[in-house]
Amino acid sequence: MQEIRGKFSSESRPKPPLSGVIYGELAYWVVLIGMVVSIIGVSLILTTDKNYIDSSCLLNNLWAGDNPSEIWERCAGTHPEGHWYLEKLGTGDGIAMLGIAFACLAAVLGVWASIFALIKDREHLFVVFAFIVAIILTASALGIIQAGH
Amino acid sequence: MGVVVLKSHISGSSISRVSIVLDGSHRSKLFVLTLALFIFIGISGTAAAEESASMGLSPAEFFILFLVISIFIGMVAVLAGVGGGVIFTPLMMGFTPIDGLIIRGTGLFVAMAGALVAARPFLKRGLANIRLLYFAAVPYSASAVAGALLAVYIKQTMGVTGEAFVRLALGSLVIIIAMLFVFAGGRIEYPEVRKVDRFTQRVGLAMAYWEESIGSVVQYQVTRSWLGLLMFSGVGLISGLFGLGAGWAMVPVLNLVMMAPLKVAAASSKVLIGIGDTAAIWPYIMQGTIFPLFAVPCMIGLIVGTILGAKIMIRVRAGFVRYLIIGIMFISGIRLVQQSLSMLGYI
Repeated sequence: MQEIRGKFSSESRPKPPLSGVIYGELAYWVVLIGMVVSIIGVSLILTTDKNYIDSSCLLNNLWAGDNPSEIWERCAGTHPEGHWYLEKLGTGDGIAMLGIAFACLAAVLGVWASIFALIKDREHLFVVFAFIVAIILTASALGIIQAGH
Repeated sequence: MGVVVLKSHISGSSISRVSIVLDGSHRSKLFVLTLALFIFIGISGTAAAEESASMGLSPAEFFILFLVISIFIGMVAVLAGVGGGVIFTPLMMGFTPIDGLIIRGTGLFVAMAGALVAARPFLKRGLANIRLLYFAAVPYSASAVAGALLAVYIKQTMGVTGEAFVRLALGSLVIIIAMLFVFAGGRIEYPEVRKVDRFTQRVGLAMAYWEESIGSVVQYQVTRSWLGLLMFSGVGLISGLFGLGAGWAMVPVLNLVMMAPLKVAAASSKVLIGIGDTAAIWPYIMQGTIFPLFAVPCMIGLIVGTILGAKIMIRVRAGFVRYLIIGIMFISGIRLVQQSLSMLGYI
């Protein structure tokens, strides 16, 4: 056991770890771009008829408390799996969902990028931790970890 | 590029409070953009869309309604010093007929988006401990994914009974969180770590940050990281299963169990929510439980509400808002318990 004394010192400001700065910057900008794309997509949903899901049907069923499968079946004709929006990018729903998915990729990209900075800083143990986290996030985003319909 | 500057306002008696402050030009631009968005959607969408029979609302009106509700939730949350996610999910589940799985997926999404936007300045200033983050993110993200998968599994296999048990558990949890806010609000700004256990020492989680308020470097240690690992597993499971942001649980674990300084605990928990909720959100997306028409106004609303809440924070009595939010949580919790008992046929 080690005894810890003295918490404060008048040293100059410590430099923030590069890995953290990289993660923060990348995640911030990716999520911001995702938000803008999703807002554009929702604007298209509200202003055009080029939608994958019938908006009025969606609201009726959403407010009726129907589960996602029932809503998809009734309003889009089928319950799509996985990254359905990639095949529907010509619709407002597809673009809005692409924006949401892109925002959800922010941390995945951020963690992978920060691993390189951790390697550069020779933080070997934390490279391992970050690598495990990156694998979990990537597997989740790719749909490798998922429950069936 | 400094569009958003985040400040953490933390006192010993309150939960970590994070506010976003924009400089003058960016603030007015954001306000004008948001206003333009409202007007654009309001005018064009209302004209184009048909009215929905069951709600009596057009898609554009639905968008604006949930935008306004989420702005209110975001404002009240930041004034009370909690994350919007912890109020959004129970409130929506308790008082709207929308399916629980859709609300929980959306709740995770809005908590994640808010946390990712807020993370940047904390990491730039070195306030969030990157070592602690990745150390805690391993159990947190793994169990958050497990929680999300469990939520989908319960929905698919247990039907109404599963939904009733989820509502009962969430309602009880929300009541417990509200009671924690009332009775166990104590935090330690600079916990004194007298001894560091061997495991924590070997991992090496100690770091330093510049404390602006005292103009000095704060060098700190953490301890009991093995206990932290176990607790983060539980917190992640709850977050993924119920679609809650988990700052309410992570700050006490980091501050009172692992003895990290309060500002470090608050900043690190905010960044951790972004990572853990990202892991948990994908099973919800893959199942098609996120509908942009519902998720996007809630996301924008919570973020705009947080910004507005931070702006008016200095003009309102925080104590009143704190009790308001505790009241909202109690009512939501009781409503969820009542719904579950009704679904199970007890009342």
